[in-house]
Amino acid sequence: MRGLQLPLSQTQKVRLQNALNHLESLSSKVNSDASVTVADSISVNHEDGVLKGHGTADIQGDLVATLCGVVERVNKLVYVRALRSRYKPEVGDIVIGRVVEVSQKRWRLEINYSQDAVLMLSSMNMPDGVQRRRTAVDELNMRSIFEEKDVVCAEVRGFQHDGLHLQARSQKYGKLNRGQLLTVPPYLVKRQKQHYHHLEQFGVDLILGCNGFIWVGEHIEAKDDMVEDQVSHPNKNSASLEELEKNYTALETRKYICRAANAIRVLSTLGFNMTLEIIKGVIDLSLSQNLDIHDMLGSEFFVLVAEKEAERRSSSKKKR
Amino acid sequence: MVGLSLGEQHFIQGGISQDLRCDGRKRLTFRPIHVETGVIPQANGSARVRMGATDVIASVKAELGKPSFLQPNKGKVSIHIDCSSTAEPAFEGRGGDELSSELSNALQSCLLGGKSGEGAGIDLSSLIVIEGKICWDLYIDGLVVSSDGNLLDALGAAIKAALSNTGIPRVQVAVGESSDDQPEVDVSDEEFLQFDTSGIPVIVTLTKVGRHYIVDATSEEESQMSSAISFSVNRQGHICGITKRGGAGMDPSIILDMVSVAKHVSEQLINKLDSEIASAEAEDQE
Repeated sequence: MRGLQLPLSQTQKVRLQNALNHLESLSSKVNSDASVTVADSISVNHEDGVLKGHGTADIQGDLVATLCGVVERVNKLVYVRALRSRYKPEVGDIVIGRVVEVSQKRWRLEINYSQDAVLMLSSMNMPDGVQRRRTAVDELNMRSIFEEKDVVCAEVRGFQHDGLHLQARSQKYGKLNRGQLLTVPPYLVKRQKQHYHHLEQFGVDLILGCNGFIWVGEHIEAKDDMVEDQVSHPNKNSASLEELEKNYTALETRKYICRAANAIRVLSTLGFNMTLEIIKGVIDLSLSQNLDIHDMLGSEFFVLVAEKEAERRSSSKKKR
Repeated sequence: MVGLSLGEQHFIQGGISQDLRCDGRKRLTFRPIHVETGVIPQANGSARVRMGATDVIASVKAELGKPSFLQPNKGKVSIHIDCSSTAEPAFEGRGGDELSSELSNALQSCLLGGKSGEGAGIDLSSLIVIEGKICWDLYIDGLVVSSDGNLLDALGAAIKAALSNTGIPRVQVAVGESSDDQPEVDVSDEEFLQFDTSGIPVIVTLTKVGRHYIVDATSEEESQMSSAISFSVNRQGHICGITKRGGAGMDPSIILDMVSVAKHVSEQLINKLDSEIASAEAEDQE
């Protein structure tokens, strides 16, 4: 929990410390002999012909860790996996990126990785839905699909010779409007079965990108919104203030969007994993307490969330 | 500053017009302000103010100097702001110079009044030691450590807190032989006089987005602004300085409306800030 800047009163500090200690005690059963720090030697059977992976170094015949993390062993490969590392893309990850450049037949997106990802024009569905070869006219009209600074949701296709490639072939991928983008440390978002969540009771779409970008927005039906975009896009630039005002997100939905966003902010500061269950729990907690949306970022709610998480984890442990 | 897509900008503008901003605040709600004093022990006074992700440090150094010829009964104060390159990559090298000078000028006009020292928020005559010969020079320096919008308000609050933390050493004046000689002064290391900060104004920036004004804008909201006016208001509700930023022009009636909004908001801010400074000083003493 880095950079905690909230002014906590004495009792709140004590409660927070108790909750964090409780959480630590619950998780210490994880094989602690597998965790290493820099320059710890890794116990290895030398006769087996071990493969030295990332985070290890061979110093005077001894295998020594160069990272702080957990030792993983896969068949003959031994490597050290850091707990708080930069985002590492895997094939099939759902990521959210921001377009930084429109190039020849591709868009470059920033996805919180060491390089910019590439989204090829051929990996995008065409607005009219027809499967066809991309012509030069399509290439000239790329900006009508995605412009610079647009927020795009896509899936990792793989690593090609020129970098990381993404694809957005399904209807649920594409440009994200009407909401806000939040950034959390990438290691808090673990890979799960579902990254798209639709909170029905709130009418809010929640997309947990594996790269730490999280989108919270108004629910948009996964339909041909590409076609709609084509029609409404020229209007947006010349729309008057009144027309824009009519188009704003409804206040009720907006309240839920802000609540979800604040829930994610609190969880990110506390360093808890982002899963739908936990986020929903935090939102329900704030609703049951009748808290003002802005008060969710205050110290009292902070401590409450930590305590609730400790309770939740201990109860789920007892169930097992 | 990462740019925002059209959809995100639309969302922010919608939030402001519906009185529910992205983090749930109302238009006239400040982010929680956190004040720490005494962060720089070598300075006469210092403070660090955090408003959300905006983090600024202000320090006050007092040195003995000669008062200006035109105002022999007033001390001198100079304010200088530096934007650290840790705040934004754009601030590296000379990139932050423009913003620094803009902030310094705005703070000088808000806190020090006009060229003749009229209408200054800080009482300069309290800095005089011997009229015409020796006065205290206060050098107020501000550093922007992390920038997330609303730098002027945060710097104003930090300077107010730093000045309330400032201790001016007590000066013993030895009686000189003749009045022309430079008198001898003995600067005490032990005794300090607290600076009187009840008259120092706070700065409230109103950022106009669409048809509405918001207080304490984050940097995303500031990117959507058409213009922003900063008012420095003191405890009596008097306006000590006004600065306008942004290219769009405004109808004068809007400015008068903003003045009344700023006066109303500044009351709450002054009370909040005073209580935060008091608790920070209390913690400092522990």
